[in-house]
This record gives sequence, structure tokens and C-alpha cells, in this order.
Amino acid sequence: MRSRLAVLLLVALLALPMVPPARAQNALVVSVWGGNWKDTVDRVIGKAFTAKTGIPVEYEVGGTIDRLAKARVAKGNPLVDLNFTTTHVARLYISDGLYDKLDMARLPASKEIAKEAFRSDSHIGSWAYVYTVVYRPDLVKEDITKWSDLWKPSLKGKLALPDFDPSHIITIAALMEGGNEVNWQKGEAKLKQLKESVAAFYSTDAQSQDLMKTGQGPVQVMLSVNAYHLQEQGIAVKVVQPTDYPGVVGIDTMAVMAGTKKAEAAHQFINLALSKEIQTELVKALRAGPVNLGATVPASLKGQPGIFSSTAEWKERGYIMNDEARAKNLPGWREWFTANIVKK
Amino acid sequence: MLRLAVVLLLAFMTLPTVVVVAVSFNPTAILSFPPAGLSLRWYVNALTYPQFQRAALNSLVVTLASALLAVPFGTAAALALVRHPLRARGLWTSLLLSPLVIPGVAAGLGLLILAAKLGLLQSRWVLVVAHVALVLPFVVRSVAVSVANLDPALERAAASLGAPPWRVVVRVTLPLLRPALFAALLFAVIVSLNEFVVSLFISTRVTEILPVAMFTYVVNYTDPTMAALSTLFIAATVVAVFVADRFLDLSRVFQIGEEGR
Amino acid sequence: MSFRLLPAVAVLAVFAAALAALFRWSLLEFVPGSLQPGGLTLANFRAVLAPQYVGAIRDTVVLSALTTVLTLVCAYPVAYALARTPSRRVRSLILVLTLAPFFTGAIVRTYAWVLVLGNTVVTWPVPMLFTERGVLVGLVHFSMPTMILILAAALSHIDPVYERAAASLGASPAHVFRRVTLPLSMPGIVSGGLIVFAWTLSAFPTPELLGGGKVKMIANVVKDLGLDSFNWPGAAAFALLALALTLALLTLVGRLSSDRAA
Repeated sequence: MRSRLAVLLLVALLALPMVPPARAQNALVVSVWGGNWKDTVDRVIGKAFTAKTGIPVEYEVGGTIDRLAKARVAKGNPLVDLNFTTTHVARLYISDGLYDKLDMARLPASKEIAKEAFRSDSHIGSWAYVYTVVYRPDLVKEDITKWSDLWKPSLKGKLALPDFDPSHIITIAALMEGGNEVNWQKGEAKLKQLKESVAAFYSTDAQSQDLMKTGQGPVQVMLSVNAYHLQEQGIAVKVVQPTDYPGVVGIDTMAVMAGTKKAEAAHQFINLALSKEIQTELVKALRAGPVNLGATVPASLKGQPGIFSSTAEWKERGYIMNDEARAKNLPGWREWFTANIVKK
Repeated sequence: MLRLAVVLLLAFMTLPTVVVVAVSFNPTAILSFPPAGLSLRWYVNALTYPQFQRAALNSLVVTLASALLAVPFGTAAALALVRHPLRARGLWTSLLLSPLVIPGVAAGLGLLILAAKLGLLQSRWVLVVAHVALVLPFVVRSVAVSVANLDPALERAAASLGAPPWRVVVRVTLPLLRPALFAALLFAVIVSLNEFVVSLFISTRVTEILPVAMFTYVVNYTDPTMAALSTLFIAATVVAVFVADRFLDLSRVFQIGEEGR
Repeated sequence: MSFRLLPAVAVLAVFAAALAALFRWSLLEFVPGSLQPGGLTLANFRAVLAPQYVGAIRDTVVLSALTTVLTLVCAYPVAYALARTPSRRVRSLILVLTLAPFFTGAIVRTYAWVLVLGNTVVTWPVPMLFTERGVLVGLVHFSMPTMILILAAALSHIDPVYERAAASLGASPAHVFRRVTLPLSMPGIVSGGLIVFAWTLSAFPTPELLGGGKVKMIANVVKDLGLDSFNWPGAAAFALLALALTLALLTLVGRLSSDRAA
């Protein structure tokens, strides 16, 4: 009798894995960067979206290139419905046929956004920032005011650079040598000079923060939003508005994945993200520049690096790279950078 | 001199644990030691983080199912190995212990490829099967040692009194093996709960177990939440190991000391 | 074959199938951006020897060797104390301190080192986090429990008669150790060393979290290729390499210990 009970219990327990893991079947799955980015998108857009539509939101997090790789293998049967990425990497998604065209009729809020935010018929801007020089004044005893300061001998062994997207430093080096992102080879020699200044390379946002926090990489080429996030956490970093060449503008974009069954919900999400109220919130939460012309930028934040009051400022206070050139050159840049700068 | 060296080395082994526990109470997101104050906010964050909650549930399900499968399977195998005249016993033993030898990334990648081709990636069964295989060597090893030490006279006595073979096993053998079965269950649970590398390959966001969720967190965040979660883990494990030593005399299990000879 | 072995073997058959899949895929061509492989090719194994990957193999072997040596040196005293202490309380204490990290899992242990090496406790004079030094420290710490247990078991099996005999003949404790204990514990040293070496070859979480993408061992390359780039054929080739190295080393252990038993 007791053994029969035991057997029944065993069978019941073994049936456990059959119970589908707790996942809301009707959730909208959003692909986005992890950490602060996911938290902010969830807090500002996701929660409002769920409150408005009753649809829960889940997030697939990862780096820019990782999520592209995942999307490629899931082509035709996407595991996510909506994708956040950078405007130039979005072109790689497009050329792989991974996005659906946006149905502008379902995005009434898009009437309020600046024309520079319409990146293509498949992806649309959500916010903008700059990549610029960020450093810890308590560990670096001198003022850094321009890009060319990075090459100063006094900064040897203090620099940390991203190894997953070297677009910015390559472009700046090219600009310094009279070229640009299209004929970037002009800056190759200059870049090689920078090699000795580099203490470390970071592969993720979290690593970049770690390097800044521990002081191993007290001078970095960093995304302005990440720098402000560090300040919020209590690390005193200075975000530079370089005087020789502007910071390199980055525009993050949203798109609907081809083959998704939640196109309607995805469009609602995008529309909400583009709305004046949400955009105003995003400015405050991320310290990024809005795409909605009606969004208000608080006076205290105006003029700070990466916080643009209008898209006109994108051009005035930043350097906008050519999307297509950037997308086309990115794989080659990564290879060249890895072989010439990262490798010991 | 030796004593000093041992103390220093033990300190080296425990230092990281001490730091983790201390950092977990830091009120701000900066990891500082000693902590700038005492705050439980990271514990609250760890316990309320939805992905951790889901992963903890997955861990519970997978570990329970794996342990409940591995212990009977492994015990049966141990009985077969030790008791029955088997040709190529050494070969069978090697086979049963083989998962220990295969690098986690190799097993993980292979299982990923298999599961993807069979369309099983969204199910936790893949994880269960993997965990059973990974845990089997521990179960077989600890049970086999005890089986070898059993006095066959007791079972023979039961058989001679007319008990059919299965009854002998259920009423005599298994009860005699009880301590070993507990040890095997403990091993199975601990190994499965902490299994990371293979599970990393075959988990998805929905099925991932706790160590994988923790890894994802560490890669994306730099706040002390992981310190808080780690402290909880460490506390639970220390208690478990302490209890195990009390009841099982771990020295004997690892064949250390006078008794181990 | 006894039917009692069936269930266990059935489960292990899945593992065997996984290895078979690895073997098959390592010989197929990688089609970038897709999970559909191409035809038969040896390109993946050639890629293993490409400069960017050969560095990872070399680093893996060097780091594993260094780890093994350092772990041996650090574990021996603790193992000696564990095996020889007369006090059950001390033995329990050492055992708990040794086993507890063993059972807290890779992520927790490695994360702890991220904190310590990340200038949380002291600011290190040289960078430790995301460097080879840091990974080495993490690997040694990781291997200590295993080495301690193996060495302690080996030391426990030395018949005290030999040591007593040497002492009674007038040898100092240091002499007894050097001429009697150490040589008699050599089987433990060798098998412990080879086991730690083999396991460290396929170490994953430690270099992944402490290496910061800069220090890559074979297992990290498998993960990069398999989970980040979805180059399953390439990842399979590397995984098989790790497997081959491990098997070769462990066969050596088996050969050496059976020689001794004979």
C-alpha cells in the first residue's frame, strides 16, 4: 500500500517538467540591450504599454551583434516580436530580410517626430546619444577637453575602448587625418599610435562600467547614456564635449520582426514609445535626446553632451555617420581593429 | 610553520566568500568593502527579480525530477555492477562514470544541436535528461561503495526464507543502503542545482535554471544583487554540508583520515 | 547485460548521441547566418589552427599547467593537515571549508573573485581583473578543493609504519617528509595533478567572467562560436579538441595508476 503511494508520488513528480514553464503565452517579446537599457525600457515604456493594453512584456537581452546572430538563425520563425538596435546595425537586419515594413498608419505618433528619425521604411529612431570621452577626474589629474588628448603620453595605459564596435574611434582618427568613415584607412597610422595608451578593451556595457568603477580603465570612449548611469550610481565621471571634433552620434531604433504573430501589439508599443509623454520620460530616465519634436528637455539637462533638444542639434553638436557606410564597413572594421589594436 | 601555511591557505579559500557576504549589504550600487552601511535592498531585489523567480522554479523542477530519476537508475546500475558477474565490468564502470570526463562545453553543444534538430529546445525535459546523465556518476559511485560493503548473508537469508528477488531488494537491500541512498540524493541535488556549463547551452530564456540566470545577470549588471543572491546560496550550502558531515561522516565518504584506511 | 543497467545506459545513450552529433557537425561546412550546414569539409579543423584560435589553445595549455603546479603547492599543506590531524573537530572544520566552496557552484565562486580582483577590498598594484593573472588566481582557487581531497586521500593511505620507522632511525621530521612521505604520496600528486590539468583545460566560467573577453580558453571559444556566432561546425571542432585533450590526459592517469596497482 505504501509502496503504491510512493510510486504514484514518483509519477506525479516526474510529470512536473511537463508543466509548461511560467510564460505568459500572449506576451510581447522585446529584444533590447541588458542592464540599465532593459530596466528603463521596461519602466518607462513596458509598464505603460501593459497598463494600456493588458499585454505583458518580456525581454530578450544581449549585445548588439549577439542579438543579430540569434535573429538570423531564427529567421522566419522569430523568437522576438520587436527589436531595438542601433540604426546602422538595423541595416544588417534589413539586408537579411529580418524586418517587416512598418505600417505608418498604425503609428499616428510618428507625425510628431523629426524627419531625421525616419531611418528607413522598416526602422524608426527611438532616441539619440553621443559616443564621447568619459573619464574619472579623481584618477586622471589633468583636464581632457578634446579627442586628440587621448593620444597624450600622460594617458598611456589608462584608456579603455569597446572591442565590439570600433566605429567611433576609427572615424575620429580618420577625421583627424582629413578623411572620414568612408575612406577611413587615412586614420590607420594614427590609430596604431593609440595602441599603447589602451589598458583594456571591454566587450559589454557591464565590463565598461566595471573598468571605470575599479579604475582600471579611467578614460573611456563611452556612450553618454552609460556615463550618466554611472553618475547616478555614485561614480563621479566627467562627460566631455570635445572641442576639436564632435562626439559621434548614435541613434537607437525600433523595428518589427518579420514573421511575428504580434505585429499589432508591436506597432502599439512603438507608437507609445514615440509619443510625447513617453519621450519626455525617456529623456529624463536615459539622459538621451528625444525624437519627438514635442518632447520637453528639462532646463538642467539642456546642452549636456548627448542630450539634444532637437534633431537639428544632432548635426550641430554631433557627428552623424553615414549609416550605410557604417553598416558595410563594420565587419571589416572589427577585423582590422582586432588584428591591429586588440591583439597583443 | 605548517599551521601558519594552512591557516593562510584556508583564509585564501574563504576570502572571496567573506567579501561577497560583506558587499551584499552595501546600500549603494558601488561594490565597496567594507560596506558603507547596512542595507537589505539587494536581497529584496534578488528575491523579487522576475527572471530569478522563474529560474528558481525551473531549478526546483529540473533538480527534483533529475534526482528522483538518477537515484533509482544509479542504484540499479550500482547493484548490477557490484553484484552480478559481468563481463567487461570495467567497461561498464567507465561508461557510467563517463559524463565526468566529457568537457561541459562539448556535452552542452552536442545536446544543443540534438535538441534543436528535434525541436525540443523549449522543453525542460532536455535539461532533465542532461542533469540525470551528469549526476549519475556521483550516484553510482557512492552507492557502489556501500553495496560492496553489504553482507550478502542477509539477502541470502531472506531469499532462503522464500522471498522473491524483488522483495529481497525492497525489504532487505534498499533499507540497508539507506544512508548511501541519502548521500546519493544529496549529491544529486547539489550537483544538479549548481550545474551551469551544460545548462547554459541548452537553456532558453524561459527554461533557464538559476545558475544560468545568475550568469546572465552578472554579464549585464554591476550592482551587488548577485552578491546578495550568492550569500543566500552560500548559506544554504554551508548548512547542507554541515548537516551532511554530521550524519554521513564525510571523511569516510572521501576516504580521508584514520577511518578511511 | 543486466537489465538493471538499462535505464542508466538509456540516459547515457543520449549523451553518446550528443557526441555523435558533435562529431558529424565538425565535419560539415559552416554557412554564416544560418543553422543549415553545408557539405563535408575539413575546414573547421583547419580553422582551429588559425592564428586567432591557436592563441587560445596555447593560452589554455599554459594556464592549465600553471594552475596545476600552483594548486599542488597550495593544496599539499592543507591536505597534509586534513589527513594527519588527530582532532576530529579540526578535520571537520577543514573539510567543511574545503567542500563548501565546492558545492556553491561555479557562478557564485567566480563572481566572488570578480569582486575581490576588482579592487573592492584592496586596490591591486597591477590590474588583476580581466587579465591572465586574475584568471590564474580564479582557476587555482577553483581547483583547490579537488586537489586537497585527492591528496588527503592519498596521504591517508600511506602506512604510518614507514614514517615511524624512519623517525626511529633518527631522521628529523623534515627529513621524514622529504624522503618518505613525499615520495609515497607521489601517486596522489600525479593523479591529482593530471585530473586538475584535464579539468582546467575545459574550464569555462572562470575565464569567461574573470577574463573579460581578453583571456580566452578553449571552452570560451566554443561558447563564442556556438552561442554567439552560431557557427556550430566550428564550435564542434573546438569542442572535440577539448574532449580529445581531456581523454588523452585521463587515459594517462588511468595507465599510471594501474601500473602502480600492478
